[in-house]
Amino acid sequence: MAGLVRAGFSFARNAIFSTSVRSIATTNPLNLKEIRERTEGSSIVIEAVNVPSPRTELLVRAENLPNHEPAVSPSEKPPCYMCALGLDVKHTDVLILSQFVRSDGCMLPRRITGLCRRQQKKMGKLVTMAQKAGLMINLTPGNCKKDPKKRREHKKFNTYFDERTIFMKKIPKPVDRFKR
Amino acid sequence: MSAAKRVQQWATFARTWHIFDCKWQDPYESANVIKKYLMGLHKPIYHPMNDCGDVVVCINSREIALRGDEWRKRAYFHHTGYPGGATWTLAWELHNKDPTMIIKKAVYRAMKGNLQRRHTMERLLIYPGETVPEDVLQNVTNQIRQTRLVPTRLDQIPEEVSKAYPKVMDYPEDYILK
Ligand SMILES: [Zn+2]
Repeated sequence: MAGLVRAGFSFARNAIFSTSVRSIATTNPLNLKEIRERTEGSSIVIEAVNVPSPRTELLVRAENLPNHEPAVSPSEKPPCYMCALGLDVKHTDVLILSQFVRSDGCMLPRRITGLCRRQQKKMGKLVTMAQKAGLMINLTPGNCKKDPKKRREHKKFNTYFDERTIFMKKIPKPVDRFKR
Repeated sequence: MSAAKRVQQWATFARTWHIFDCKWQDPYESANVIKKYLMGLHKPIYHPMNDCGDVVVCINSREIALRGDEWRKRAYFHHTGYPGGATWTLAWELHNKDPTMIIKKAVYRAMKGNLQRRHTMERLLIYPGETVPEDVLQNVTNQIRQTRLVPTRLDQIPEEVSKAYPKVMDYPEDYILK
């Protein structure tokens, strides 16, 4: 009887949270997919094609580097891949930052990037900085004016950013130095 | 005085012309660099009473870069002298009106206020674009190093370079490419 009740509960849960629990699938779910749309005569065919990841070959990981020292105690949680690499990423490093965004320039969520909270926050802010400085104008929404010089008011002039302000609690103003 | 000594005397006291590219440079950082060349502080013969300052030609002053939100936060104050004659102009408004004014004011403020400052400023030539008069350009013999790296835009990098660049992030297995 208890098993029947539990089965009933799990069935109800599956019906409600059907997006998160993929127990039944008509296709193989664990593959990188690309949605292709093509026209065949009068009908439009939309299909999801499994493609190999284009990045696997070029992937850099700290554990694969020659002079890598693993974390001291195995009991601690290992750091995420950006913390392990220890790169000093600036907002002008668009070749690195463009890996964390979609084709419309939007930052990918943490479940896809696989970063820790701090690095996700940092990368998100760096992407914002790069977009505001107009350094990734080919990764923007379709309605965006691509050229930064065509922007309005103060946005059309060149702007650079200071990466130290990302985790600064209170950004000091120029008048603060007069206070005692 | 021998001929060699006379030439050495000319070479020591002649004004050198320097060029400075303001593209993506912070005007307030670069003002401290330009100031040294304008006043002659980089010369061993420097003395406040010694007129040994050089000429600096600033090009691309339209392309200067300000930090963070300074374009809309920094205000330039002016007072006409009449009651109610005070105006506060934001940096981006001033740059719209005159693209040479911000770098000029930055250099002016970087120097100590004395009777020499106005004459030193006369030796600073600023051009908003890359076009410099020919008679100015033929005097230039030195280039001042920029303080900040000029960033490269992603669309200026060739496709094959960005494809072959080492990657740090890989998509999870069930990601749908967009
Ligand atoms: Zn981390």
